Amino acid sequence: MSKALALFNDKRVRDVIYQVALVVGLLALTVFFVRNASENMVKAGIASGFDFLWRNSGIDVPFVLTDYTRAGTILDLFWAGVANTMLVTVVALVLATGLGFLVGIARLSSHWLLSTIAGAYIEFVRNIPLLFFVLFWYFGVIAALPAPRDSVSVFGVAFLNNRGLTIPLPDAPANFRWAVAAILLSWLAQWLVSLWARRRKDRTGQDAPMLAIGLVLIVLVPALAIAWASLATRWDIPVLRGFNYRGGFVVIPEFVALLAALVTYTAGFIAEIVRGGIQAVPHGQVEAASALGLRPVRILRLVTIPQALRVMIPPLTNQYLNVLKNSSFGAAIAYPDVVSLFMGSALNNTGQAIEIIAMTLAVYLVIGLAVSAFMNWYNARIALVTR
Amino acid sequence: MATPVWRQRLFGTPATGIVTVLLALVLAWIAVPIIRWALIDATWRGTTRADCAAGGACWVFVKARFGQFMYGLYPGDQRWRADLAGLAFVLGTAAVVFAPPRLRLKAGIAALIILPPLGIWLLGGGFGLQPIETREWGGLMLTLFISVYASLIAIPLGILLALGRQSELRVVRLISVLFIEFWRGVPIIAVIFLASLLLPLILPGGIGIDRLARAVIGLGLVIAAYMAEAVRGGLQALPSGQREAATALGLTYWKATGLIILPQALRISLPAMTNEFIALVKNTTLVLVVSILDLLGIAQASLADPAWVGMSMEAYVFSGSIYWLICFALSRWSRYLETLGRRQHR
Repeated sequence: MSKALALFNDKRVRDVIYQVALVVGLLALTVFFVRNASENMVKAGIASGFDFLWRNSGIDVPFVLTDYTRAGTILDLFWAGVANTMLVTVVALVLATGLGFLVGIARLSSHWLLSTIAGAYIEFVRNIPLLFFVLFWYFGVIAALPAPRDSVSVFGVAFLNNRGLTIPLPDAPANFRWAVAAILLSWLAQWLVSLWARRRKDRTGQDAPMLAIGLVLIVLVPALAIAWASLATRWDIPVLRGFNYRGGFVVIPEFVALLAALVTYTAGFIAEIVRGGIQAVPHGQVEAASALGLRPVRILRLVTIPQALRVMIPPLTNQYLNVLKNSSFGAAIAYPDVVSLFMGSALNNTGQAIEIIAMTLAVYLVIGLAVSAFMNWYNARIALVTR
Repeated sequence: MATPVWRQRLFGTPATGIVTVLLALVLAWIAVPIIRWALIDATWRGTTRADCAAGGACWVFVKARFGQFMYGLYPGDQRWRADLAGLAFVLGTAAVVFAPPRLRLKAGIAALIILPPLGIWLLGGGFGLQPIETREWGGLMLTLFISVYASLIAIPLGILLALGRQSELRVVRLISVLFIEFWRGVPIIAVIFLASLLLPLILPGGIGIDRLARAVIGLGLVIAAYMAEAVRGGLQALPSGQREAATALGLTYWKATGLIILPQALRISLPAMTNEFIALVKNTTLVLVVSILDLLGIAQASLADPAWVGMSMEAYVFSGSIYWLICFALSRWSRYLETLGRRQHR
């Protein structure tokens, strides 16, 4: 007895006992849950396994990027949902970053009115639930837009109405493939030239006219390529026929509402990250740079932003992951993302709760891990190197 | 004569002046119609839709529906029970906050043992009170109910997980990290679906579990993972000498944690925990997807009333303002705690 007690008083032994007890307890709990689940499923007559994925879905999806039709399988439905989730996430992420940077820099402006307006915007969006904005944009704003007959025209080629945004669609996408290839090539060239310029600067100390080269390769060439492709293509411009527009591509109102909500909401959080990052750069850095004779734009580009980015990347990663997860709010207005298509429609049709929930959660975990891996790689690349 | 500060700030240089004028124009273009709609052209008196003038806001609608915004479909003659539960909660919190420091822990434990069951008993009924099913609960009352009860799950679990993540026991650490990262990695809306579908499935047959309880458990688990990260910040900010000193004095792990580590760590992480609570209040709205009608859900549902067609703006502005007031007050409080903490550290 006293020997066992002495053994228990040994910290190493005690630690092992605690950990084994924890693992056994968790395993017992899991076994309990799984047994209940299998009993309950037998009682309810639900099959288990992933065979249902190859069944015909028969579900209509109003907005598809993949080649899914209602004749497709449930697995096709799953991928259609994943594609829709990715689309709204990527577009929202880009727009929110842009708006967030603008608002964050405006918040720091020495212009009192500008910084006050930016501050008011931040306090407004950050203290209201995102779902509120989603519902507000969908039922409050888009539903209040005019009927197709009185659409808001955007330069006569795109039309905004209560059935969504109708945009022109190119008849022959081949030209655009060439344009995309040209853009990628010119960006590659820009990257190579900048590598060469940095090497030459290290060797000789001479600056290359990178701004001009960058403008040509990053802005001018892509702009020309897109212009050429647009002119060479026959556009299917939407035309009002009867009660609705024919032709073109209809961006459904659910997408517009979800995107508007995600962008306006996330921008408020990104703005605060931008402000915090810029304020974290010691003022002496800016003073030293200007004492060296750098112009304000170069100070911002060479001194402030690189140091601010180091502070900003980790919280920015969190916001990007939030955009991915928050894109599921579309389920509340039936935007056909993976949650509403798969956890909603497919689950109702098949009843296979466990498999469907596991697959849906896996989508978010996999994409989320990929995003944070990329951001961590970028973070490590720009991190402060101490020698 | 020195230029006044406002003139220097708004019209210091020609460029600033132009920006000021442009911004003022944009502001006026946005604000004037809103103020006209919400205040000048609005209707405040009356009882029906017919009393409302066209063009302005119809606050009569909010007045007529006020009870539903606050209590949902809770029976009118029983609403005192919700008020009483709220009052008990406020008094209990005040008693803990204002108790003398020596009694604070005991007061806190007493409040934690008495208040939560009391609240459920008052709202749900039984033992003489008329039972009221959770499907009739709603409105602001339900928003607050879910926020409070989900954080009753989230805060203790979050503290345990944070301690687990910092533990020197490898298995404990691994399990805590997996739990935290899993719940942080998936969308809350999916968790609410998951809780409402899986909880009845994994419990023994015959044990029914209320759909409101399912949503609260789901939310509680996710927020626990976020709370754990907030607490971890506090634990990491604490110098390691604190634990070493406690161990040197012969305190066991739990005594050192309870008496030395947690009181200090929680004080540091209180602002971060408050921010997580704000996130919880905002995410409470998601129970709408399993047709539980909290404040936003009630506002959304009220739009379908044929007697009040086209009141969407009024419903959104009213419910949005309440959310804004709650979250703004909480965020100011969290910022106040932050400055307080910084001052005490000096």
